[in-house]
Amino acid sequence: MTLLSPDFAEELKEFSDDSALACFNCGTCVAICPLIDAHFPRRMIRYVQIGARERILENATELWKCLHCGLCTQTCPREANPGEILLGLKRLIVNHWRKKA
Amino acid sequence: MYHPRDIIDTIAGNLRTTRNPFGIPHFLVNRWWRKANLPRRGDAMLFTGLMYQFIPYIETSTGYLAKYEESPLARYLRYARYAPGYLSGLGLAMITPSREKQNFDRILRDIVRILKASQVDLYYRPELDRYSGILLYDLGDQETFVAHARWLANRLKRAGVRKLITVDPHTTYALKELFPKYTGTSFDVHPYFELLRLNGHTIQRTVTLHDPCFYGRYLGLSDVPARALAGLGITCVEVDRSGAFTHCCGGPAESISPKLAGEVGRRRLAQLEATGAPIVAMCPICLANLRKLGADVQDLSSVMVQGI
Repeated sequence: MTLLSPDFAEELKEFSDDSALACFNCGTCVAICPLIDAHFPRRMIRYVQIGARERILENATELWKCLHCGLCTQTCPREANPGEILLGLKRLIVNHWRKKA
Repeated sequence: MYHPRDIIDTIAGNLRTTRNPFGIPHFLVNRWWRKANLPRRGDAMLFTGLMYQFIPYIETSTGYLAKYEESPLARYLRYARYAPGYLSGLGLAMITPSREKQNFDRILRDIVRILKASQVDLYYRPELDRYSGILLYDLGDQETFVAHARWLANRLKRAGVRKLITVDPHTTYALKELFPKYTGTSFDVHPYFELLRLNGHTIQRTVTLHDPCFYGRYLGLSDVPARALAGLGITCVEVDRSGAFTHCCGGPAESISPKLAGEVGRRRLAQLEATGAPIVAMCPICLANLRKLGADVQDLSSVMVQGI
């Protein structure tokens, strides 16, 4: 069971321009991403959309596989900015680790 | 894959205490200019951001990271953050081959030669030429990046610097896009190939030009180096995935996972090698990562300098 945080979008705003709600899950970002990894970066965008904060924290290290190359943002048909969302999530996680320390 | 936190904390700690992500003293890492005979005053200051100078050290350190990435020893990287920056930096400087340092220093001297041949009124002040902090921005350590960027922007501003000539895409992006946004200070920033006026048509050859993500996509500058090459009679063959849709070389992943950097890089290399023409890079990270995979890659400046 995963606990959802309805106010996660608000929390992310401090770290990134959140365009996750524009995403309609077409999967173009997954197809174009050089990582050829299952559901990257879409899975993380989906977690942001539904406020699955816990899932993001559990899988946090996966975020650093992102090369910040920008291809997902370049090709997004909804003109969302998945690259910036992933960068924002990295910032949020770094902040979380530091607060915890 | 290493734990990102271990890498981030080590790099951030070094940057905060030494202003260098590897802790290497500035006088050791920035030596290329000593043989270049450059004035300290002029119209535009050459700003290398130390990226080319860092490559031999990055190669040494990622060589060790690659060796231990999948071994139980990988977890001990968490203790690296407790090592004093200058101490680990000096150690890294000592085990890095000087021939590699000279090779990358030569690239910077070649850039100066082609700028001078283009009548660019440039100057250089080595004490002001510091690292932009871009790696920490990419890794998500916004706090350390912004603090460092403010320090550097103030230093340049106080010295009266207005116009900058950059030599790599990462530093160019940091100074052109991120510094105005996060430090409130703007400079007139030009990648060196924007200022070239070389119209000799002296070399008749064809090359495969690899567009780095930050020039091709983020800054939309792909056409500019291709035009500069055309001025020397050099033609760029079409590459599968270029310009705004260029493919990453894998280099940005090398600190977190050298294995992943290799996987992504091999895919890009296959696209570049498919053309059959010699490969040319214009980013030190791309240059190093593609070379590491066994490719014979030249820097853009090394090709251009042959035409003057």
